[in-house]
Amino acid sequence: MTQEELQALTVNKSVDARGTACPGPLLEAKKAIGTIGSGDIMEILSADEGTKRDIPKWANKKGHEYLGTAEESGYFKIYLKKG
Amino acid sequence: MENKKMCLALFTGSVDKLTAAGVILSGAAVDDMDVDIYVLLQAARAFKKDIADDSSKLPMAENVDLKEEFLVSLKKLNVKTWVEFFKEAKEITNVKIHICGLAGKVWDGEKLDDFIDLADDIVGISEYITAAQEADVNLFI
Repeated sequence: MTQEELQALTVNKSVDARGTACPGPLLEAKKAIGTIGSGDIMEILSADEGTKRDIPKWANKKGHEYLGTAEESGYFKIYLKKG
Repeated sequence: MENKKMCLALFTGSVDKLTAAGVILSGAAVDDMDVDIYVLLQAARAFKKDIADDSSKLPMAENVDLKEEFLVSLKKLNVKTWVEFFKEAKEITNVKIHICGLAGKVWDGEKLDDFIDLADDIVGISEYITAAQEADVNLFI
């Protein structure tokens, strides 16, 4: 998805994990995804570089769809669709 | 699909290695692994009720003179304590923490009640060997 398409997504759950370093964002994503339904969109806000690769890999492994990462100033937003 | 199994022989009682174990455990939990932790000699001391949450009572394994810097840095980065990592992993996935009977005795811990609530039971070495044989991932920290 393009940056514009990502930004236009309707998000069902937003997780602000900017206050934590690895493995904090991953732990928060794991807990949050259990609270939404199949097909729902979740965004994870993080400034942790390792997380940028961690969450897409984890999501694909667990059957969720990684939609893309939107860059913001000083952080990024990772978009997932729950499988 | 059956969960993958991790078997962790946790020997260390040092705050830096326990923190590393906590991070690895978090990864295993997020990946839905079943984890068996066998708390061996030095680690059993760290699991005692009066010691676990008191970093001043826990040594550093490496760069011992940088302990304060290490702990201050972790706090600044908002990293959980090793106990918090273990606790959260238990909430997320199936983690069992077994205290080695001998190790407990070395540190005057005869009963399960002498250890923090995260500990599930006190066991002998054959249970570790069996778990290690059956695990997909084996670690010694």
